[in-house]
Amino acid sequence: MSIVTEKTNFGKFYRPILAWIVALLFFFPIFWMIFTSFKTDADAVKPEHLIFFKPTLDNYLNMTENYDYWRFAVNSIITSTFATALALSVGIPAAYSMAFNPSRRTKDVLVWMLSTKMLPAAAVLYPMTFLTKNFLNIFDTHFLVIIVLCLINLPIVIWMLFTYFKEIPKEIIEAGKMDGVSTWGEIKDILIPLAWGGVASTALLCFIFCWNEAYWTVRLTTIDAATLSKLIEGNRAPEGLFFGRLSAVSTAAVGPIIILGWFCQKQLVQGLTFGAVK
Amino acid sequence: MSTRTLPRLLQAPAVLLLLVWMLVPLSMTLYFSFIRYVLNSLRRPEWTSPSFSNWRGFGNYNYVLDAKDFWFAVQNSVFIVGGILFFTVILGLSIAVLINKTFPGRGIVRVLLISPFFVMPAVSGVLWINMMLDPVLGLNGIAVEGINNIINDLKALPVLGSFFSLWPDLTPLSFRATQTSAYAVIIMVTWQWTPFAVLIFMTSLQSEDQQQKEAAVLDGATAWAQFRYMTLPHLARPIAIVVMIQSIFHLSLYAEIEIVSRGNGNKNLPYLIGEFANNNIGAASATGIFAVILANIIAIFLLRMVGKNLVE
Repeated sequence: MSIVTEKTNFGKFYRPILAWIVALLFFFPIFWMIFTSFKTDADAVKPEHLIFFKPTLDNYLNMTENYDYWRFAVNSIITSTFATALALSVGIPAAYSMAFNPSRRTKDVLVWMLSTKMLPAAAVLYPMTFLTKNFLNIFDTHFLVIIVLCLINLPIVIWMLFTYFKEIPKEIIEAGKMDGVSTWGEIKDILIPLAWGGVASTALLCFIFCWNEAYWTVRLTTIDAATLSKLIEGNRAPEGLFFGRLSAVSTAAVGPIIILGWFCQKQLVQGLTFGAVK
Repeated sequence: MSTRTLPRLLQAPAVLLLLVWMLVPLSMTLYFSFIRYVLNSLRRPEWTSPSFSNWRGFGNYNYVLDAKDFWFAVQNSVFIVGGILFFTVILGLSIAVLINKTFPGRGIVRVLLISPFFVMPAVSGVLWINMMLDPVLGLNGIAVEGINNIINDLKALPVLGSFFSLWPDLTPLSFRATQTSAYAVIIMVTWQWTPFAVLIFMTSLQSEDQQQKEAAVLDGATAWAQFRYMTLPHLARPIAIVVMIQSIFHLSLYAEIEIVSRGNGNKNLPYLIGEFANNNIGAASATGIFAVILANIIAIFLLRMVGKNLVE
């Protein structure tokens, strides 16, 4: 270790303590949500049961009855999975093409793709509603949600895949070409196995973003394709009546995603800054 | 077909999809912003469907610029984004510097710290406004009540009681009120996005020149001087990127605003667009174009930086 690391008392003793306090503070609201989810609705608002109470699983067992949780959860799973699959199947060929067969315009195309991500969603809200409701007749369908989720994440997917693919030596791909492998074969048998880690973390991050999306999924659905975002938003103002059950359904909605998120912390930086911070 | 044609064509689906996704709705917004288009009008039924014969020129833009709500929404957007940026950058920098060295349990600290970022905005909003910030039933209310109880106990003390009797009863701040709901949004979004800033600053700190730092230590530079003259300049670029990315994301905040107060006294531009879109599509579209312009001003700088990086 270099001499810069830890030679003062502060470093040795206070740094870990302070870091742990900060981390616990940041995690506290999530902890509190999980904690409250084991209280009955009545206990959840009684100060005398703030810390000590009789834990119950009822809130989880009654989730279907109270909120029809699984219908929304299944919608979230379906739309996020298919949107991710679609984004990858459009994004992998595109990123392959830009990484290994770049033209003079490739850089501009990449930057332009990012710029689509920066269009404020609200600005095109009405045209989207109008088109999908009156014209295409796909309002509130899984199909629409999948397409929209795919499109809003496509720039990030392509960008991330592009940075991963670029690290693969061009010669390996070229060698495949010499051996008479088709373009499809190059992608399937050479590129994807080589960049497997990158593809997987791109997929994971795309899935997380799809799952958490809260503008289009709320505004372009009513019942049939409504996701968990819509469920939670629809139950936003319980005025203290249902803290217990609301905590349970919230925990169920974010728990799996937080755990998935822990696995792609590193890729998150790249995905969100478009490779601008390394 | 040349050997390069097919590989190059493979990007066509992605380009076409994004082109349609961007151009079709945006040109419709542009078109609607220049015509009279309202969903419910008994007096002028011809305005209820889009048509070039309802051309209004810049009328919608003037209407929006004159609307009191518009300027309030712009101010409030800037206030919310500015507040979030201020806190996330300061907190992000301090936490990144704090955990940039090895210590026991650093991995777990990182995992705990990053977690809020993966909470969906709807849950974050519901969790904060109800269980954390509610002035009666949330921890906010319970904590203030607890403090009041302690003060009341102190007032009952024999001698010191007369001193404590001067202390007022505290009232918890309600974050659903007109003036305070923007604070609630700032608090919850800061909580969610500080981890993002921490991650980026940490990634960047790891690429800092350690030899230079060692040299500075040997020369007797204080910790503050090292931070001020070496670390901070090194972080200038990541800070700029954090600021720009967050501005773009937070200018379109919606779920949190809806959940905290249904925009009551706390509108931002996307919320105002949503309100206009209930009836006056022309005005909603004109507001949308303003939002696009605002986002583009920031996006141009960001894209330039990102593009430059691509060449390196």
